Amino acid sequence: MLTLLAIVTGCLYAAGTYMMLRRSLFKLILGLVLLSHGANLLIFTVGGLTRGHAPVIDAGEDVPTSPWADPVPQALILTAIVIGFAVLAFTLTLFHRAYQTLGSDDPDDLKLSDQ
Amino acid sequence: MNDVVLVLPLLIPLLTVALSLLAWRWIAFQRAVALIGAIALLGASVLLFQRVYSVGTIVTQAGAWQAPYGITLVADLFSAIMVVLAGIAGLMVVVFSLASVDKGREAFGYYPLVNALLLGVCGAFLTGDIFNLYVWFEVMLMSSFVLLALGGERPQLQGSIKYVTLNLVSSAIFLAAVGILYGLTGTLNMADLAIRLGESDRPVLVTAVGMLFLVAFGIKAAVFPLFFWLPASYHTPPGPVSALFAGLLTKVGVYALIRMFTLVFVQDNAYTHTLILALSGLTMLTGVLGAVAQQEFRRVLSFHIISQIGYMTMGLGLAGLVESTELATFALAGSIFYIIHHIIVKTNLFLVSTVAGKLCGMVELKRQGGLYLSQPLLAFLFLVPAMSLAGMPPLSGFFAKLSLIKAGLLAEQYLLVATALFVGLLTLFSMTKIWSEAFWKPLPEESPASRNPPNLSSKQMRILLFPIGMMALLTITIGFCAEPVFSVAMRAAEELLQRDGYIRAVMGEAQ
Amino acid sequence: MERFFELDGAQVLGPSLPLAIASIFVLAIAAPWVNRFAGRSAGWLLAILPFCLTAYFASFTGAVASGETFQSELIWVPTLGVNLSCSLDGLSLLFALLINGVGGLVLIYAGGYLEGHPLLGRFYSFLLMFMASMLGLVLSANLLGLFVFWELTSLSSYLLIGFDQSRPQARASALQALLVTGGGGLALMAGLLLLGSAGGSFEIALLQSQAEHLRSHALYVPAVLLILAGAFTKSAQFPFHFWLPAAMEAPTPVSAYLHSATMVKAGIYLIARLSPALGGTDLWIGTVSTVGVCTMLLGAWLALLQTDLKRLLAYSTISSLGTLTFLLGLGGELATQAAIAFLLGHALYKGALFLVAGSIDHSTGTRDVRVLTGLGKVMPITAIAAGLASLSMAGLPPLFGFIAKELSYEVTLHSSAVLITTAAAVTANAFLVAVAIVVGLRPFWGSRNPDLQEAHEVTTPLWLGPVILASLGLVFGVFPQFIADPLVGAASAAVLGRDLSSHLTLWHGFTTALGLSLITLSAGIASFAIRGWLVKAAARWGGIFQWGPTRWYDWALTALNAVALGMTRVLQSGYLRHYLMITLGTMFALASYSLLRHGALTITFDWSDIRFYEAGLAALILFAVFAVIMVKSRLSAIMALGVVGYGVALVFIMYGAPDLAMTQFLVETLTVILFVLVFFHLPESTIVSGSVSRVRDMIISVGVGGVMTFFVLLSTPDSQKALSDYFVTNSKSGGHGQNIVNVILVDFRGLDTMGEITVLTIAAVGVYALLKLRRRSELVETGSTGETIGLVTSAQLAIKEEPTAESQMSSMILCTATRFLLPLLLLFSFFLLMRGHNEPGGGFTGGLVAAAAFVLYRFAFGVAEVNRVLPFDPRVLMGAGLLVALCSGVLALFAGQPLMTGLWNELHIPGVGEVPLGTPLIFDVGVYMAVMGVTLSIILPLAEE
Repeated sequence: MLTLLAIVTGCLYAAGTYMMLRRSLFKLILGLVLLSHGANLLIFTVGGLTRGHAPVIDAGEDVPTSPWADPVPQALILTAIVIGFAVLAFTLTLFHRAYQTLGSDDPDDLKLSDQ
Repeated sequence: MNDVVLVLPLLIPLLTVALSLLAWRWIAFQRAVALIGAIALLGASVLLFQRVYSVGTIVTQAGAWQAPYGITLVADLFSAIMVVLAGIAGLMVVVFSLASVDKGREAFGYYPLVNALLLGVCGAFLTGDIFNLYVWFEVMLMSSFVLLALGGERPQLQGSIKYVTLNLVSSAIFLAAVGILYGLTGTLNMADLAIRLGESDRPVLVTAVGMLFLVAFGIKAAVFPLFFWLPASYHTPPGPVSALFAGLLTKVGVYALIRMFTLVFVQDNAYTHTLILALSGLTMLTGVLGAVAQQEFRRVLSFHIISQIGYMTMGLGLAGLVESTELATFALAGSIFYIIHHIIVKTNLFLVSTVAGKLCGMVELKRQGGLYLSQPLLAFLFLVPAMSLAGMPPLSGFFAKLSLIKAGLLAEQYLLVATALFVGLLTLFSMTKIWSEAFWKPLPEESPASRNPPNLSSKQMRILLFPIGMMALLTITIGFCAEPVFSVAMRAAEELLQRDGYIRAVMGEAQ
Repeated sequence: MERFFELDGAQVLGPSLPLAIASIFVLAIAAPWVNRFAGRSAGWLLAILPFCLTAYFASFTGAVASGETFQSELIWVPTLGVNLSCSLDGLSLLFALLINGVGGLVLIYAGGYLEGHPLLGRFYSFLLMFMASMLGLVLSANLLGLFVFWELTSLSSYLLIGFDQSRPQARASALQALLVTGGGGLALMAGLLLLGSAGGSFEIALLQSQAEHLRSHALYVPAVLLILAGAFTKSAQFPFHFWLPAAMEAPTPVSAYLHSATMVKAGIYLIARLSPALGGTDLWIGTVSTVGVCTMLLGAWLALLQTDLKRLLAYSTISSLGTLTFLLGLGGELATQAAIAFLLGHALYKGALFLVAGSIDHSTGTRDVRVLTGLGKVMPITAIAAGLASLSMAGLPPLFGFIAKELSYEVTLHSSAVLITTAAAVTANAFLVAVAIVVGLRPFWGSRNPDLQEAHEVTTPLWLGPVILASLGLVFGVFPQFIADPLVGAASAAVLGRDLSSHLTLWHGFTTALGLSLITLSAGIASFAIRGWLVKAAARWGGIFQWGPTRWYDWALTALNAVALGMTRVLQSGYLRHYLMITLGTMFALASYSLLRHGALTITFDWSDIRFYEAGLAALILFAVFAVIMVKSRLSAIMALGVVGYGVALVFIMYGAPDLAMTQFLVETLTVILFVLVFFHLPESTIVSGSVSRVRDMIISVGVGGVMTFFVLLSTPDSQKALSDYFVTNSKSGGHGQNIVNVILVDFRGLDTMGEITVLTIAAVGVYALLKLRRRSELVETGSTGETIGLVTSAQLAIKEEPTAESQMSSMILCTATRFLLPLLLLFSFFLLMRGHNEPGGGFTGGLVAAAAFVLYRFAFGVAEVNRVLPFDPRVLMGAGLLVALCSGVLALFAGQPLMTGLWNELHIPGVGEVPLGTPLIFDVGVYMAVMGVTLSIILPLAEE
């Protein structure tokens, strides 16, 4: 399964990259989202896959029934997801405003600030 | 084990953020809190510094969970120095903002955002945990995003989009790299990582992951060829914001590079640090050439940030390549000294550029002028950081440059030294360009200021010039007290290069 | 790091020498105020200090002449080898006297020359700053200390040349001078550092003591060449001479002081100072003397062709500097003595002549030698001074210039290449004779040019300097033995590193040198006579001079700008796609190269353990991804993206991560809502990039994806998972919780969560500000410094709320349903929060659900209604949440525990029994509040759009 998820992760990264290189701010954001999905899945995968119980201790027990899944990557990803959401919300609004102000969805129309 | 001094630089800005949000509609309160918070932060950072200076690296295990299991906060001398610098830049910028930021921005969280930025920066300097570093980076980034876009003017939005996108890419790479490291070692504590990677049986992979970090932090530090976001955005937000960015953001990237490539990724220096060295040279060159091409005060300064990042990483690269520990320490100390000098000077120059822009009503150098006659004090206060940046003795920049050039020569990196010297000359060139355009040249007719003179009350002017003067004074002081400052840098470099001190401090008796 | 050196037999002076330097710096700072209060007499007042210092240094003459050296040690930055230690020997003494003496006179002169100038105060302070730097330069016993002052002289020279800053020409010349000397300065710095690392110290005396070692050192050649580059640029040697004539833009006192008497001799000083340590080798002699000869001839020739008084003097100065370089290059007792004598003589007469030129300019308003005639009657005093000075320059007895010239002829006659050197010297001197006549005599004799009616004798400050300098030339000439000889002797001794046998005398008897002098004189007069013709001839051949170094300089600047512009256009193109391409490309290149540079890697593709539903899930995700890329309409792309998210969530479920899955589902839903809110109204984008770029992008993308896949496959986790074992075992005992993930979030790694909610909060502020804070005129573009632009604050935006239309269109059922749902959902959210520590759930999911309740309510009843139901501003709620979380973490500090340590306490609830209550739970409540506030302040304003 590791192999399969590795490939899925790769595809997410590839797709994300490809979308970011399109000439549309909308697709650019889609790309960013795919990228963060890729990152999350990557952490989950390299963190070690266990087809097993959630790292939750049943009442009366002191440790979860093994084989339990590694809780650390889960915690990391949880934080990453939330942060990713915050960033996404802001980025969406930013692009929305940019669209309103500049009247274009084409990143190539954003050269003013550089030249 | 439990040092309140160590956590204050995090608690103070966080508290100011929370309080300002609670008083969302009460601007006067936010201003007061921001000012008090900034002063307190500087005070705390100084306390932290002299604590670390006297007793050495101090550590606190958040939640009292023994390293490597919990999150460790660490302050070695390098971190402490960086926190102090953040404190200085923060206070100066807040003071400057009080007289320069418009009502609209103030009403929409300008001050909590500035404090959040400082929180992220200090967090990044003080954490000893790689994922926690990621979190602080995000805090810093998020607040920089908002500060950059706040106000929503055309150039701002355009700049923000590039800045945001490229920095998010860097975050994605960073995150993936952290995940892989965890997969490789099963730990997140940097000291622990240092130990485990040393024993790793997959050196090739380790170096490759190191490359991911090099790119992720390289983007943040604006190293060639990853710096595009910087010149695209730094000149767009209000002056104090870009001053804060110019002073701190890229330096956090440099800090992370130095930390990772002195503590964690030291398995294959011949490869990694040669790469860093090459990038340094290219960064200096492309940055300074970019500056030569610019015709706008803040754009010139922005490109110079890049070229000076090259100097900072140069010391790191040299330190990793030379055999003699003494020389390595000297080179790295050069980098640290350069960072100290750069943060103060660069922040100051951006503040000066803001005042100049206000006085001339224009940002293009062509349409500025006459400040040499109308504002002698400002002219002098520009000359100090500008000449320091150009490496003119006896100012801080001279010793920064001297130490790195010397290190380069002793390491026999002649090509790099030649580049650094040439870049130095070009820096002088574009500083004099600004001087001659904005200060010497008479104010052009078409400039708006000649039609309707700027309306800066003398009180406002005093508030604006205070931080500028303070930092100019600091620049001169660092120049004249170069010996103590440099010896501190030497000590910090020593600590960085002999990692076991840091590791022992973090891991306690676990090791 | 560096070794220090006590000159044996040197008198230690204490800090008096550095103090002398410092005193002038202090005066420089005070100068503007002195000028403001003292007014016209400021020049005289300021001159007091330099004159006192002259006297002070003069008092050393006897001792120094008898071979003593004085030094005062002052450590500055030993770690870098930079020290302010000073030493006073013959050479330093000579320069110190010149700097202070001439300096004082120039200050007085400037007071008259720039009388009433608005910036006179700054002028004084720049001039004094230069004086101090120059003094420091010649007194430094440490090479890097010397360099510090070296750079400062360049800087002050820059400020002085550009003093008349309103004239573009002045600014350009200032920049030119700074770039040339500054560039040389950098070369010098490198050279000095090399020398230092070769000699193991930067103390000059120590380096001199190991000359042999240095000359044989591997770094000798580069060090020498770099140092000489510095010296040559500073002393305007060919081909760097061009900046000096341009520097004549400076006010005349500056030209007299910096660009003739002192600063331009800094390079000469350096050569002299280092020749004991580095001199004597073929490289040294060859380079220095050759460059010297070329400069000498070129300068003299070009001087002859000028018509502007100051330019004439400037080129003649270049020629004299050439002579000095040439003589020092030859080295040896005689040559050194000649050089020093010449240096002294030149400083006196050239300083005087420059000041005279200034006076003439001041009194007649012109510097054109073609119109200046017959001023002798109206300006007698100036005329006398000019006459004496020019005779000295022409090298006529009994003036000091004569002695110097005789000596230099002696040198050429004894040099290896007698013919060439002698011929060169004679030619140069002949031209200079002509120049001397043109500058010092021609303007004064004959009948007065009618255009010069307003000409008049100048005021005391303006004639005092020239008279004193010129008459010193006479005194030294007639009585060399009194002052000149001891000075020159001691200086030469310092340069040679040994005592001098011969002495200066006016009369050597009828020697070959005397003959040469006669030839020179007659040739000079001749060339003065045919000067007009020479100028014409030169004009005919003028073409070659157009290709002089000035052109190179201009060309270099243009080239530099062109290159810079081109490179920046290419790199900083402004195309975000290119930036992304390069960035990701770099990542791909570095990562893949680092993976493969040690040969191929073995990667194991293991398809065995895949279960069919897993395969199906993967297929679903991949298909959705593909759809995201392919579909045309935005809405379907968003939906496809949602599917990807849910797919990932399913993966989390399969591998025992319920919390993760729950969060992922919620976040994904919110994401989709946001996307729809933001992009629903916007028109579809139509631009489709060409097939070429599509292919290119695909290659990059596949590369990036591939590398990531490799990383995953290669970094299959080590078996030992120290962290997770620790967490699992300590979660219940230490963390008082059974849901380990939640315990990690609020306790083990609570700090992460603290940062996380901060990020959320900031993002929420950002969204709110972006939507509410608008420019009054969205499209009008003014200067891009944001502050000046008026921004609409929230108060002014209050009117923006009017969406009653929605509330009508929203159906009755939804409304009634919501009425019930709101309390239910809030209750459920509390439930999630409460159980979170032991079972899946927690503050984050709880907060989201709570927010969802209000969002739903908003869609049912509109904004106004929600604001009514919602008892608080979402921003305030976020703040409160942060505060609660923060306090729960800080409590530990008061208990003497590290930050965020969980403090636990059994709480007795009747019916339930003992319930553990701890700060981590409070922390989670903070998270709950923050998340709720964040979600509301993101969604509500967005919904208004």
